[in-house]
Amino acid sequence: MAPSATPDRLLADLGTTFRPQRQWVEGRGVWLIVGHFLSSVGAGTWVFSLWLGYRPGLGLALAAVALSGLAHLRFLGRGARFWKMYRVRTSWIARGFVGMSLFLPGAALHLLRPAGAWGSLGLALATVGAAVLIVYKGNVYAASKGVPFWNSPVLPILYATYAIRGGLALLLVALPLGGRGVDAHAVGLIELWVAVSAAVMLGFYLGVMRGTNLAAQRSVAELVRGRAAPAFYLGTVAVGLVVPILLGAVGVAGPLSQAVLAAIGATSLAGDFFAKYAIAKAGIYVPLMPAGREPAAPAA
Amino acid sequence: MVIDLKRCVGCYGCQLSCKAEHGTPPGVLFARVVKREIGTFPNTQLVHLPMLCFHCASAPCVEVCPTGASHYREGGVVDVTTDDCVGCRACMQACPYGARYFNETQTGYFPGQGLTPYEQRKYAAQNVGIVMKCNFCLDRVQAGLEPACVANCAARARTFGDLDDPLSEVSQLVRLRGGEQLQPELGTHPSVYYLPPA
Repeated sequence: MAPSATPDRLLADLGTTFRPQRQWVEGRGVWLIVGHFLSSVGAGTWVFSLWLGYRPGLGLALAAVALSGLAHLRFLGRGARFWKMYRVRTSWIARGFVGMSLFLPGAALHLLRPAGAWGSLGLALATVGAAVLIVYKGNVYAASKGVPFWNSPVLPILYATYAIRGGLALLLVALPLGGRGVDAHAVGLIELWVAVSAAVMLGFYLGVMRGTNLAAQRSVAELVRGRAAPAFYLGTVAVGLVVPILLGAVGVAGPLSQAVLAAIGATSLAGDFFAKYAIAKAGIYVPLMPAGREPAAPAA
Repeated sequence: MVIDLKRCVGCYGCQLSCKAEHGTPPGVLFARVVKREIGTFPNTQLVHLPMLCFHCASAPCVEVCPTGASHYREGGVVDVTTDDCVGCRACMQACPYGARYFNETQTGYFPGQGLTPYEQRKYAAQNVGIVMKCNFCLDRVQAGLEPACVANCAARARTFGDLDDPLSEVSQLVRLRGGEQLQPELGTHPSVYYLPPA
């Protein structure tokens, strides 16, 4: 895979007033977005599958989080050292690692032995792990002081909303696999409600960031008319919000077919991925100097 | 460290001497000079700002590191333990000053011609897949020398010393000349001070 940034591009970025972040979205950085997407969807699916008593959903949740672990390993520069991530006192990444470490064995244990003390222990571990996985991602971004667009308490709430939505969306896609006893129509309506909430939260987040500081304003500009705009308008807004909300609104009048519900789920999942991608892509570092013309620097 | 913006002529000497000392790959600049032409003609001004890791007392990069690879060393130097870094790059996102670099590939300065003997020797001491940064030339300092960027500054714009010692030259410069940290509002408490250009 291509490196996140070539030396020439790195040097060009260093000379600009508004330096774009590339490490968490380009080259191998895409794997981080994939990992974050899968872990939040998996954690959300676990919670809703438990609530609805939908056992295939629990398996799907385990698979999604396991795949997210692999994606994270692919992203890391030194994946073989992953076990060193235990510094939970200050690091949200370490907390996420602990969450995943609780979830994976716990979920596997619960699926293998649903009854008895081991099953209960697995259930408890997995549920605590899922809660951590829902919460940690937004906080990883929010802890990034160098990128004002992310350094906001609103982002963890937005990402948690997307995780809940992702969980419901995967369930809608998976219900045709054996969802007898689950009220698919009700799940679709909850998904509609969460989709509207996500849209409101996204609008609120962008509104807040537009009034924060120069770098955050620039990030919002990147999102709505810059290099992240195609992913934002097509993926996050059109596919991820408008389509599922319109389809879901039809469902308010009467029951929807499973195919339509699955389509709502699939478009919601795509929107979840592109929301994370676009927000990462729009990241701009704190400007070090006032804006101005940048004279050519000698090659270094 | 104290950097006198009145003395700095923006010659890139610090950048090049750092390169020579550490032999970092292309695109990695532990020390660099940021330049801007601000204003509109005829009221324009060339501003240059020598940059390096500020070795913050409240370093956000240390806070977010999941393994403890980024840590404070004796004297407040922020360093990376290469054997502990997993290459998650959270520190790069946390650093508001762009002082950290991901060593993704060890390409040389002469593409297609392999590495020079100098690059081979320097790159052998650097790990791929981890984050690199300035460590105030700890090896030189422990040997009783000044950091390379300080020793090689042609304008003698840089002064290195102990900011905790009120009688040190750096402390006195900060006190007497009104030294300022870059973006103090971020609350990172950098250990590098700039003396005003005028």
